[in-house]
Amino acid sequence: MALINNKTKKALSGSGVLLLAGLASLPLAAQEGHQLLRNNCGVCHAESGSADNPVFSRISEQRKSPEGWLMTINRMVHLRDVEISADDKRNLVRYLADTQGLAPDEAAPFRYLLEQDTNLIETGVDAELVETCARCHSGARFALQRRTEQEWQYLVDFHMGQFPTTELHALSRDRAWYEIARNQTASTLALQYALDTPEWSQWQSEPKADVTGRWRVVGFVPGKGEFDAVMLAERADDGRYDLSITGRYADGSELSGDGKATLYTGYEWRASLTLDGVRMRQVMALDEQGLSGRMFLAAEREIGGSIQAIQDQGEAAVLALLPSFVRKGEHAEVEVIGHNLQADSLSLGAGVVIEQILSQGPDSIRVRVSATGDEGIYPVQLGDVAQSAGLAVYEQVARVDVLPQDAVARIGGGGMMAKVRTAYRVVGYSAGPDGIPGTEDDLRLGYMPASWQILPADEEAEHDQDHIYAGEIDANGIFTPGIDGPNPERRMSANNVGRLTVVATVTDGEEVVEGSGNLLVSVPDFVRRVLD
Amino acid sequence: MKHLKSMNKKAHLINQAINPEQVEEVVAMQTVVGCTATTDPGWELDPFGGLGSLCQPMESDLYGCADACWWPAQVPDTMSTYPDWGNGVAKADEDWRKLDGIFEDGE
Repeated sequence: MALINNKTKKALSGSGVLLLAGLASLPLAAQEGHQLLRNNCGVCHAESGSADNPVFSRISEQRKSPEGWLMTINRMVHLRDVEISADDKRNLVRYLADTQGLAPDEAAPFRYLLEQDTNLIETGVDAELVETCARCHSGARFALQRRTEQEWQYLVDFHMGQFPTTELHALSRDRAWYEIARNQTASTLALQYALDTPEWSQWQSEPKADVTGRWRVVGFVPGKGEFDAVMLAERADDGRYDLSITGRYADGSELSGDGKATLYTGYEWRASLTLDGVRMRQVMALDEQGLSGRMFLAAEREIGGSIQAIQDQGEAAVLALLPSFVRKGEHAEVEVIGHNLQADSLSLGAGVVIEQILSQGPDSIRVRVSATGDEGIYPVQLGDVAQSAGLAVYEQVARVDVLPQDAVARIGGGGMMAKVRTAYRVVGYSAGPDGIPGTEDDLRLGYMPASWQILPADEEAEHDQDHIYAGEIDANGIFTPGIDGPNPERRMSANNVGRLTVVATVTDGEEVVEGSGNLLVSVPDFVRRVLD
Repeated sequence: MKHLKSMNKKAHLINQAINPEQVEEVVAMQTVVGCTATTDPGWELDPFGGLGSLCQPMESDLYGCADACWWPAQVPDTMSTYPDWGNGVAKADEDWRKLDGIFEDGE
């Protein structure tokens, strides 16, 4: 087909025969996506290329996550006055993420941002890029994009035009920052995050899995605890999936809900669901093992926990053990969570004796075990097949890690801005073969119950009484910051900000083990992006 | 620096930050996702990993953070992107309750 640009667009839509003839061989989704781009973006973005390989200026020179494309469209709406219906927006994000998305390996190092799990320290970001870009927003925000060098240069220009203080932040008085950003930094970005990659070519050619069916799920909701559930996914007419989920929390209380999911790029699972009246979101990645990621409150993305799911493929499979650890020489009740389970084929290896089967069903077997073997991980066996889940037998909890290790909570609640809370958990480890906690051979046991307290981070924080003003932590490990606004009780009427140490205490038999994390209680973040 | 004596709090912090261990600690907190501690001053933390050099309370100079889009990722910039933010709230230290955030449409 002849090249098409803005000027010929209207004329062509009048000669629809030619257009349809050219598109007839394409799958429906591609035709629809192509038309969506023309209708919503074509006024400004010139079209070229061919019917089965259309090219739109700027757009075709970038690849992004679904959230990245959503942010692009939002920006076009806000800054360029684009008018787009909710349906078109949703379909366009899906089309762009499918055709110009990221390969699983490209997104893998930065899933924390997609999962909205931002209470962590980014590592491995190039120092030059931290200095230039990741001092205001996350490094993952640009690392989840792929562009041509010219597109990276345009991004520098956009920042210069839209946020002129970039110049001051970039120390423009002391160096030729713009030349550095436009030439060196854009070139570094184009090298590290190139548009064309073997990973993306490979992923495009791979067959994509079908996610319809029955899923066995385990996860964690702060304040509620661990849960296991069955989730059903049915394909809906709009190309999304209708979800229903039923299960129960570790304390026996029931859980149920329904919602919608979309699978972007063949592996990026995004679901919105209402769980017992509370709107939640799931962000997971699909691989050969199943789905894994994070589920969090739609209204409060900091409050969430990990979630994993495996699809029922007709064979017996184990997803998880709850709890995942038992102390050497002791007895414990353990629940095996999975699909198509049969108690008579279940074993836990020579070091863990199944003393009694307490209950059994295809989704769950409850057993009473005795840990007779030495310290180590004992994989679950179903017949002759070893599963990836296993039971950790340990002698002593030697170390507990507080997660998140570094976090930012934000004051709020006095006016329009809500408080930004932090949800804590503890992972226990034994010292491993070398007997020294904190080394690589430590044995990860799993999440453990803990009691919580906050302390001032240092002398200065104690002097300013940060631990009195900045907030409090509850028995579930949820930290709630103080109210916003100036506080006349504090020096200079300072806000209720502070630097705190969060201390978790785990009691294991007669042993008491403590761990701690750093918590900064800060002022509100008035600009919340889809990806910060 | 050894011939100079720090006279005020900020100078004292600078002196402290020269200690390599202190610098390492500061660098660690600088990179919490979205935290602007490498700017001087940052929005969440100062370059020394503390709160001592930040404007407190933040309401007393809030529009200085927004007018010239000083922290455009944390405070709506009234210069280019959100010119109406702060309308009707002339004195942020009195009327801070009326200030809303910018929450991007996530759907």
